[in-house]
Amino acid sequence: MGVWDILLTYHMAFARGLLVTLQLCAVIWVAGLVLGAALGVAGSAFPRAVGWPSRAASFILAGVPVLVFLFWLHYPAQALAGVVIDPFVTAAATLAILNIVGVADIVRGALVDFPQQYITAARVTGLTRWQTLARIQAPLILRAVIPPLLLLQVSMLHMTLFASLISVEEIFRAAQRINAQIYRPVEIYTALGLFFLAVSLPVTGLALWLRARYTRDTSEQ
Amino acid sequence: MTLEARGVHKSLGGQAVLRGVDIVIEPGQITCLIGPSGCGKTTLLRALAFLDPPDAGAVTLDGAPPARPPWPDVTAVFQSLFLWPHLTLRENIMLPARRRNPNAQADMRGLAALLDMEHFLDKHPNQASGGQRQRAALARALILGPRYVLLDEITSALDLEQSAKILTKLTHLRERGMGVLLITHALAFARRAADRVVFMDAGRVAEAGGPGILDRPATPRLAAFLEGAGLC
Repeated sequence: MGVWDILLTYHMAFARGLLVTLQLCAVIWVAGLVLGAALGVAGSAFPRAVGWPSRAASFILAGVPVLVFLFWLHYPAQALAGVVIDPFVTAAATLAILNIVGVADIVRGALVDFPQQYITAARVTGLTRWQTLARIQAPLILRAVIPPLLLLQVSMLHMTLFASLISVEEIFRAAQRINAQIYRPVEIYTALGLFFLAVSLPVTGLALWLRARYTRDTSEQ
Repeated sequence: MTLEARGVHKSLGGQAVLRGVDIVIEPGQITCLIGPSGCGKTTLLRALAFLDPPDAGAVTLDGAPPARPPWPDVTAVFQSLFLWPHLTLRENIMLPARRRNPNAQADMRGLAALLDMEHFLDKHPNQASGGQRQRAALARALILGPRYVLLDEITSALDLEQSAKILTKLTHLRERGMGVLLITHALAFARRAADRVVFMDAGRVAEAGGPGILDRPATPRLAAFLEGAGLC
């Protein structure tokens, strides 16, 4: 039984797993990009009230392995709180928190590090605030943040595999179940790898292309 | 009807940079500001450009502090130029000009011809040489038709021929009533261009007068500065 035979035979199981993975990604990506961008903007506008706490959260989370964080929220946190939460929700919340903090870091950094001299030039040449934002700040900031944001979203897609370890029926767990039935690990995990390559490579390629195109060295010689 | 600093004090990082500077930029005149590095010339330029308010004293336009910063009636070209890196040099010049100057396209062609810019206007700033960037930054300011233009070392990367062209352009603008403040270390340029020369030292105006002070300094400090520059 080859890779394609397995994919054809178990396409429904793979499809169900893929759907759960995509649902996880949708939650993580939307929450991360919307809330993370908002947190990053707030962090640059209010460095003490929002920026420092956000950086502290990022610093602490960077020191905790994702799996430990996920398991801690799935078992001890729920036991301490006396609640039982659906593993999908736990996984989505865990990874969304990581994505929000990661996106906030990228956005806040780009805003805080934005070279003020470009705004000075806009002011003395009489550009309005709106023109300065639309024609100077936004294009330069987007060029700086889009590539790392795309790469972060690819990483978040890969991290959804951890959800299988708390019984979320996403694509990796679907593959494990199929493998348990027919024991064809080479073909099954090759198929899984091809799936992730098919999704990840275009996004990674786009990020690298954007980075090469827009975040080239603009320093003056 | 002048751009004027009166008793301006300014500290940066706890260090007094300007210690009571008085200077008047007259319309229709080129005022050259000279002095050793670190004496406060650029800090004064930023105050006169209404970018950094003074700690004490006042910067006035037409006799009073303006209610709003009068950009680009008062505009500036900085030593670091501050060209927007994602735009071509042409776009750098035209972006502010479109809003301000109905004849921007025609003026652009005139400036491009005068400053020999046609062949590099579609480069990005990081693809252009220092001299090309300086000319573009100057064009970005001049196309706005400001009443006062404050220029910080704008000829430092230019050859003699280009410097002479810019001097010619500034002379034309002076005749049309524009007030020019020119920070420069090129004393020969100052001697040819200036209606008035202001020498700053240690955050104060140490001597001011016509370009003749470059030949006959009244203060020992200016004499020493000129001697160091090999002009006395």
